[in-house]
Amino acid sequence: MWGLIKSVLAAFLGVQKEEQRRKDFSASSPWGFIITAVILAIIFVVGLAGLAIWVAR
Amino acid sequence: MAPKLPPTYPLEHSATTAAGSQAPTHHAPPRGLLRWLLTTNHKEIGSLYLIFSLIMFFIGGIFALVIRAELFQPGLQLVNPEFFNQMTTMHGLIMVFAAVMPAFTGLANWMIPLQIGAPDMALPRLNNFSFWLLPVAFTLLLSTLFMPGGGPNFGWTFYAPLSTTYAPPSTTFFILALHIAGISSILGAINIIATILNMRAPGMRMMDMPLFVWTWLITAFLLIAVMPVLAGVITMMLMDINFGTSFFSAAGGGDPVLFQHLFWFFGHPEVYIMILPAFGIVSVIIPTFARKPLFGYPSMVYATASIALLSFMVWAHHMFVVGLPLAAELFFMYSTMLIAVPTGVKIFNWITTLFRGSISFESPMLFSLAFVVLFTIGGFSGLMLAISPADFQYHDTYFVVAHFHYVLVPGAVFAIMAAVYYWLPKWTGHYPNERLAQWHFWLSVIGVNLTFFPMHFSGLAGMPRRIPDYALQFADFNMLSSLGAFLFGFSQLLFVLGVVLCVRGGKKAPAQAWEGAWDLEWTVPSPAPLHTFETPPVFKRPTP
Amino acid sequence: MRSLWRWIVSSSVFLSITSVHANGWNMPRGVTDVSGEIYGLHMTIFWICVVIGAVVFGAMFYSLFRYRHSKGAKSANFHEHTTVEIFWTTIPLLILVGMAVPATATLTKMYDASEADLDVMIIGQQWRWRYEYLGEEVAFTSNMSTPRAQISGEEGFGEHYLREVDEPLVLPINRKVRFLMTSDDVIHSWWVPELAVKQDTIPGFINENWVNINEPGIYRGQCAELCGIDHAFMPIVVHAMEEAEFDAWMVERKEAMKQEALGVDREWEMQELMARGETVFESICAACHQSEGQGAPPAFPALAGNARLIEDREWHIQTVINGVSGTAMPAFRNTLNPVELASVVTYTRNAWGNDTGDSVQPADIARRLAQ
Repeated sequence: MWGLIKSVLAAFLGVQKEEQRRKDFSASSPWGFIITAVILAIIFVVGLAGLAIWVAR
Repeated sequence: MAPKLPPTYPLEHSATTAAGSQAPTHHAPPRGLLRWLLTTNHKEIGSLYLIFSLIMFFIGGIFALVIRAELFQPGLQLVNPEFFNQMTTMHGLIMVFAAVMPAFTGLANWMIPLQIGAPDMALPRLNNFSFWLLPVAFTLLLSTLFMPGGGPNFGWTFYAPLSTTYAPPSTTFFILALHIAGISSILGAINIIATILNMRAPGMRMMDMPLFVWTWLITAFLLIAVMPVLAGVITMMLMDINFGTSFFSAAGGGDPVLFQHLFWFFGHPEVYIMILPAFGIVSVIIPTFARKPLFGYPSMVYATASIALLSFMVWAHHMFVVGLPLAAELFFMYSTMLIAVPTGVKIFNWITTLFRGSISFESPMLFSLAFVVLFTIGGFSGLMLAISPADFQYHDTYFVVAHFHYVLVPGAVFAIMAAVYYWLPKWTGHYPNERLAQWHFWLSVIGVNLTFFPMHFSGLAGMPRRIPDYALQFADFNMLSSLGAFLFGFSQLLFVLGVVLCVRGGKKAPAQAWEGAWDLEWTVPSPAPLHTFETPPVFKRPTP
Repeated sequence: MRSLWRWIVSSSVFLSITSVHANGWNMPRGVTDVSGEIYGLHMTIFWICVVIGAVVFGAMFYSLFRYRHSKGAKSANFHEHTTVEIFWTTIPLLILVGMAVPATATLTKMYDASEADLDVMIIGQQWRWRYEYLGEEVAFTSNMSTPRAQISGEEGFGEHYLREVDEPLVLPINRKVRFLMTSDDVIHSWWVPELAVKQDTIPGFINENWVNINEPGIYRGQCAELCGIDHAFMPIVVHAMEEAEFDAWMVERKEAMKQEALGVDREWEMQELMARGETVFESICAACHQSEGQGAPPAFPALAGNARLIEDREWHIQTVINGVSGTAMPAFRNTLNPVELASVVTYTRNAWGNDTGDSVQPADIARRLAQ
């Protein structure tokens, strides 16, 4: 699970070791990555909005 | 994702050599005009797109020169403010929707099948349809200039209620034209996605695709996501104008600011639609002429995707002065600043690709290098504009005009020209005249900077955009800009000359026209025969 | 339209004159605390960009020069380096965070329009500004005063070409002035660079902004949002005064408003009405209907020789007071006072050969407005 999150975060930043990338891409199904990415993207947007609202309060 | 084609074929590109003998077995193609009207060949449709976009580039350019001629000095000399507003509007609309976007679609049509080893686009008849919608749309749009009351005069962003309650009668035609162009874009995008996902050569995985293909894949998803939003907003305008609704009229309970939210929710991704394929082109050309693999290929792909995703959450940075609540202002400032990170990654990767390469400076490379430098300057002013408090001073001034022209002219347009010079040998079988291309390059670089760099200063000094006449303190910068614009405009004739000469003859190009180029398109003969890869090639990964 | 040849000659003369005294190429520091802070942010981010640019372009041109194919450079084959990539992702991120903090502070300050000493309503109208001092019963419209002859080139340019008005917005220094901003027609944007205030005026909505000016002076700006044909011709002039001077001006201005109101009740001579009407027409109507009343059909009908106007006096008056919905002709009942309305109707009924000979009295207009 943590490995999955780490890979998705690395993709967000666009930095990943080639061997890790090869390992990720040989995974049997992409759905784990897709679902993690969508959740993390939502957390990112909500987090940024939360920060803005907290600063503006 | 597994390719859907049969896995192995003995020959790498047997089909191309056999193409000439195979063609007559098809039913005879129509001749003359009908051939072009009915063609379903990706190369012919690609050429149609490119020729259309070049014509529109010149029409939009003439509009720009009318603007610059009027702004050459203070006072009104050549046109009245009404016509001036029509020129600014039409210049923007034509350049965005009829020049830059079709040029990229044309390049996609030509090159994506060749780069992934596909025989054609996935949906050839749809391809024909999406091209022929464009001349219809833009003939209609241009014809509004001759209608009573004149053409659209409310800027390419057509803010309501100036574009609804206060618009000229021709606005309904403008809406129809945009609808047609939008349908064309959506169909084109669907076709590109279907082609890339289904028709790659056996052995080519997603992460093996050339970056031009990758950036176009992401662009196509952006197009499908936002063109319907544009269609929605112009339909609401149509209702407000003709059927008495009040979406954007406060008097009827509507909200003019709603228009801007909807427009920019389309408009900001639209900006990236015009720049992501340019990133792809430059990422293909720089490794070729540095004779070195692209640095950080996966991070380039990821950065493109990041930029695309972020583009959906930054739209209101175009609206910092409409009176957003403080929290919204902060949210959009932060998210906009974040875009600098993946964009920076791209620029660093290009430069690291150059580092310890073996660099030569043919015309495609020159345009690509100019792209990197000048796009970065546009990126810097973009970063400045992201600082919301400072944007209260920058907004709607020539500083903004300078910013988006830096990312679109030496950005998108230079990338298109780089692509044309890069792939002309493949298209025509001849190298373009290098001397002519170099003249074109240097005159364009000088012209573009002379035009747009002074605009930073006139904007900071307080000159708003979209004005036909200005206070005396802006006179010097405007004069420089106008001189530069005419230099840039006329040097594009050299481009046309170069292309025409290249089509008619020139130094013969081999299949692999550039020493450092290795993508699949360079395995087919130059010029590429009408039908290529009828038997899929086996993709071989380059050994690192 | 002049001949192309004359245009080229005058242009080259103009170039040689103006290039001598170039002025103003950066954002002004301005005359409020906020404008100073914005200037500071602008210069900070500018220098950050310059430094990054120097490093990036330096590396680029070094590579281009050092690794030329023509000098026999052999290409290496590396294509990734995780540490370097992490480095150049985090450094920009840190710079951005460093920039976001002061920007947030300034923005928060800009959004605090509370506890103002004076409220001024700013109303955008095609193509002029209306200012109302709330609670003071002082209100007026501010039109561009640059003669059309200067724009068309028949006269030389004045010093403040396109940036001068018939009546400036007068504000006190050292007092917090809150602006409430809206529009009567399309979206405009009220912008004075020296005050660092740029805010869209939106029909049906009210935006807030504020200033606290530190130095007396005259500050010029103009509409920043495309608002139709005369977008370039709706300048803003702010006259910032010492507090005592401002209070005196306010008393005087109120008195003038009272005098104007008294003028409504008396009988006006034809000549008076015509003279007043011409000024009103030039500043308000000529933008669309042109100074000779010839209009610009089809959008802006001609007034000179307009049969309906000449024959139907009642319709003419109603049109000016209430406007024509669905067209660019606005209602002037709130913009102009009865004297101005009466005189401009009289003027348009008698100028350019319309010669109806009849006049409209301010008292008559006042009665209609009261209904």
